[in-house]
Amino acid sequence: MIKSFCLAGLLLSFFLCAAQYPGYTLLSNAETFKKSFTQATAFTESIQSNFKQEKSLSMLSEDIHSTGKFWYRKNDKIRMEYIQPYSYIMILNGGKIFIKEGQKENKISANSNKVFQQVNRILIDCVGGSMLDNPDFRSRIFESSGAFLVELIPLAKNLKELYKNINILIDKKDFTATEIAMFELSGDKTVIHFQNKVLNAKISDSVFNIP
Amino acid sequence: MQKVQSDESCLLKFKPDLHHVIYKTSVDVIGKHISGLLVIKRMPDSSTRIVFTNEMGFSFFDFDFLPDSGFKVYQIIPQMNKEALVRTLRKDFELLLYRNLSNSKYYSLKDSGMIYHAFPQMEGVNYYVTDSSCRQLVKMQRASTKKPVMEAYMYGGSSGLAPDSISIRHFNISHFSITLKKISTPAAQ
Repeated sequence: MIKSFCLAGLLLSFFLCAAQYPGYTLLSNAETFKKSFTQATAFTESIQSNFKQEKSLSMLSEDIHSTGKFWYRKNDKIRMEYIQPYSYIMILNGGKIFIKEGQKENKISANSNKVFQQVNRILIDCVGGSMLDNPDFRSRIFESSGAFLVELIPLAKNLKELYKNINILIDKKDFTATEIAMFELSGDKTVIHFQNKVLNAKISDSVFNIP
Repeated sequence: MQKVQSDESCLLKFKPDLHHVIYKTSVDVIGKHISGLLVIKRMPDSSTRIVFTNEMGFSFFDFDFLPDSGFKVYQIIPQMNKEALVRTLRKDFELLLYRNLSNSKYYSLKDSGMIYHAFPQMEGVNYYVTDSSCRQLVKMQRASTKKPVMEAYMYGGSSGLAPDSISIRHFNISHFSITLKKISTPAAQ
């Protein structure tokens, strides 16, 4: 009797997972993925790409689209530059965050702002490949024919207050992130698509320079 | 300031069209700076929703100005969830949206060649300040019973359009200012 309940439970959870992300199945053993992922990202010294962002405000039925350029260099340097329809530059370098919007410049020490620090770490983790080791989240990994989907559920209290989950799509060909989707509790979401990626090109220090 | 006779209906032509607009927004308060996008949208039930969301991730707040002069907070991040801050932002937006005018006891004052069109609120007074012949809106102002607490200026955007930019400055809270610059978002590709 107990066995059949367990089996029914297993089957139910299998179907629920399958229904959650059409085309994807839950990986029962994440270790193989982790190993391949760690090996592949060990060779990624830098990434340059364009990005397209869609922010959907569900209650307002409002979609805001923006585009820009993205740079990453191992281990903790990121520059995200929004170009259209507004100018906004965010540089993460070491423990520091630099923000420039229009003519205004703002330096933030990530260590002094916990949420910024955690959001900062999500970005670094997603492209640098260490998101599965982040204690602020628990993760599940799904697989389709061309991609892995890493689902991160926040465990840290302040992130739980903002996000339901954060999903990262990883290309099976080169194990780089092609999409980061942040789902808020309100039903709003922000999806960043990375396009035209160039791996391991030399990126000048000045790109990540915090004045 | 002296009381003068004036007609409140002349103000209607200055009412900004804020039924659907997105502003790049900066908020500075006591040395802290946050930026993001402010979305103002009139909903099918005639309420006006104002959402302030950051460029990349989450929303700071989601306010609803109900048709019957009511107000609802749908969401606000814990760091901003302070009663005084929410009340201040509510009053600021009510001034910009020309709310609570018809049920207010209108009067007007003259000072330095300008007409202060006054609309008493539950707390304090909202002023729409025009030239003496009401041909131009100079500024908007909120005041307590004793002194001005906040001023707002709108720039650009002729009739039927949302202003190109809006600047808000508070006097009672030092260095609390809000700057809005209109953006046009590209269509989905």
